[in-house]
Amino acid sequence: MSSWLAQAIDSAEKIEDWLSPKRAISLAKLKETPWPGRKTEAWKYTPINAIERAQLSEKTGTAAKASEIDNLNSIDLVFVDGLFSEEASTSELPEGLTISSLQHAQSWALESFNQTKPSKHFFGLVNDVLATQGCIIDVAANTTIEQPIRITNSFSEGAQAHTRAIVRIGESSKLTVIEQLEGDLASLNTFFAEYQISEKAHLEHYRLALQSGKALSVGGCHFNLNQASTLDSSLIGYGSQLSRVDMDVIHSAEHSNAKLNVIYLLDGKELFDLHSAIEHTKPNGVSEQNVRCIAADRANAIFNGRIHIHRDAQKILAQMNNRNLLMSPNAQINTKPELEIYADDVRCAHGATIAEIDEEAMFYLQSRGVSRSEAQIMLSFAFINELVDQMKNDAVAQWLRPMLRERFAQMEIR
Amino acid sequence: MLKINDLHARVAQNDIIKGLNLEINAGEVHAIMGPNGAGKSTLSYSLAGRDNYEVTSGTATLDGKDLLDLEVEERAAAGLFLAFQYPVEIAGVSNMEFMKAAVDAQRAARDQEALSSSEFLKRAKAACKQVNLPLNFLKRGVNEGFSGGEKKRNEIMQMILLEPKISILDESDSGLDIDALKIVAEGINSQRDGERSFLVITHYQRLLDYIKPDFVHVLAEGKIVKSGGPELALELESQGYAWLESYDRTAQDGEQ
Repeated sequence: MSSWLAQAIDSAEKIEDWLSPKRAISLAKLKETPWPGRKTEAWKYTPINAIERAQLSEKTGTAAKASEIDNLNSIDLVFVDGLFSEEASTSELPEGLTISSLQHAQSWALESFNQTKPSKHFFGLVNDVLATQGCIIDVAANTTIEQPIRITNSFSEGAQAHTRAIVRIGESSKLTVIEQLEGDLASLNTFFAEYQISEKAHLEHYRLALQSGKALSVGGCHFNLNQASTLDSSLIGYGSQLSRVDMDVIHSAEHSNAKLNVIYLLDGKELFDLHSAIEHTKPNGVSEQNVRCIAADRANAIFNGRIHIHRDAQKILAQMNNRNLLMSPNAQINTKPELEIYADDVRCAHGATIAEIDEEAMFYLQSRGVSRSEAQIMLSFAFINELVDQMKNDAVAQWLRPMLRERFAQMEIR
Repeated sequence: MLKINDLHARVAQNDIIKGLNLEINAGEVHAIMGPNGAGKSTLSYSLAGRDNYEVTSGTATLDGKDLLDLEVEERAAAGLFLAFQYPVEIAGVSNMEFMKAAVDAQRAARDQEALSSSEFLKRAKAACKQVNLPLNFLKRGVNEGFSGGEKKRNEIMQMILLEPKISILDESDSGLDIDALKIVAEGINSQRDGERSFLVITHYQRLLDYIKPDFVHVLAEGKIVKSGGPELALELESQGYAWLESYDRTAQDGEQ
């Protein structure tokens, strides 16, 4: 067994709280699960031995908090080194919205814990047994929360942090949640979020996985879609020594609709790994996933996208599109779309391609006087910017665009 | 200004332009009309420098400068503008970003001082207004989700901003209703200043009711087979292009 895992299990065994019944199940499972290595399918391209080597300790929250997003006017839940910072967070909440700490028991949250996140995720189990900090967010029925909720996570050198979000959006309600992770120092975090989206409810979701450099980040977001509910999610991945996100979308009733846009922008020796699974268990659901990746230098991008259409889940419309732009001969993209279809009346499409510059667009730009090299940069950036344009929240899109552009420009220089 | 001499061009091994001569002086508006397949689009793409449109012989100069020797963007900087028959949609690049890059590049190529952002924005807004495009179109992806008419008006908006010496308008009237047609025509007319020139390529006479050409040419089988004043357009409208067939036959008979 890994010494880090042995220590984690040791710490977990000392935790006793309202989540203990759930934690016990995960702990038993964790003890049975071998440490993921090259031969573990879900970790084939993503080595995790850096966790073993990292110098980690419990920290007291000395890191700077994550950057502000201009004009967002959000309800902030600020976590520093995995600890909730009450003074940096927003205390005044609109009617219909309840937010509490993971340290306070809530019966629905206990029930909801691990309802959406499958037990197959190794670090999900780690989070189950170690996360004592986090938030429980509850939106009453028929409520539109205009202000987005922003959960920020930042880390200082050597920090080890395990946080959890449990979210429930009531019937016919609307909510926007932005998960923001930042920092490039050597630290380890697991941040998992579970969302219950009730009948006719809508969740607009952003995961801004902006950690880079030496950061070790393994987390996930998991969504349960009820009757006629909708999800509009955008994930931005910068990549770091180890950045992994597990995502599950479970259509557990009819007429639900999920849209997932994903942008990877990787440079240097950065690695970003998304494993996503979309489960259609009932008929008449819609899923659309667009994954766009730009990898430069010696970066490594991993995408494993699974769509699983269960028996009798007829009339499903599911699309997965993965396009990749390699900017260096040493960059790597490992992509694996998986369709598993057990129903016979569905429309399912997937495609994974290495993108090429569209010559028609190139000619159009050049015909207006833009040089070929500049047009190439514009079109390459457009490749990911197209998904930024689709973001519903203008403040997030406007905040991201110049940052992504800057990061992309840095990649061009090499 | 624009001088085309004995131009031959081919696309995918097919000779399309077969010895075309045309001279357009400063301030003139010329119209080229012709049936489908006459080589109208090949002419405009060859002049703009599109890949796969290969000029096999002949010359084309703009103010004495050999166009055919230049890269696509250099032709634009030299003052050539092509309004596309089918403008391209480019998601992820905003109209604003595109036009700013284009104006900057062209001004730099001509050793002109760069426009400040506010000055550029002012001009871009004015150009949009002139062709009746809502200002938020500047923020949207290039032609992304635009209707056919909006795309054509966007071409004219670009022309207004870029102030080219010679504008080639490739069927800018196709697919437009009468109101959109008038907007496009007014946009073009507003740019006529006695210095700048225009080559209006069209299948129908309709556009020429609004843009009065100085000369009208008939293109058939890759050559200009007839030239005249504005009255030639009306003649074509009433007679159609069928007479060209007999014209061709006579010409071929004559050669034999």
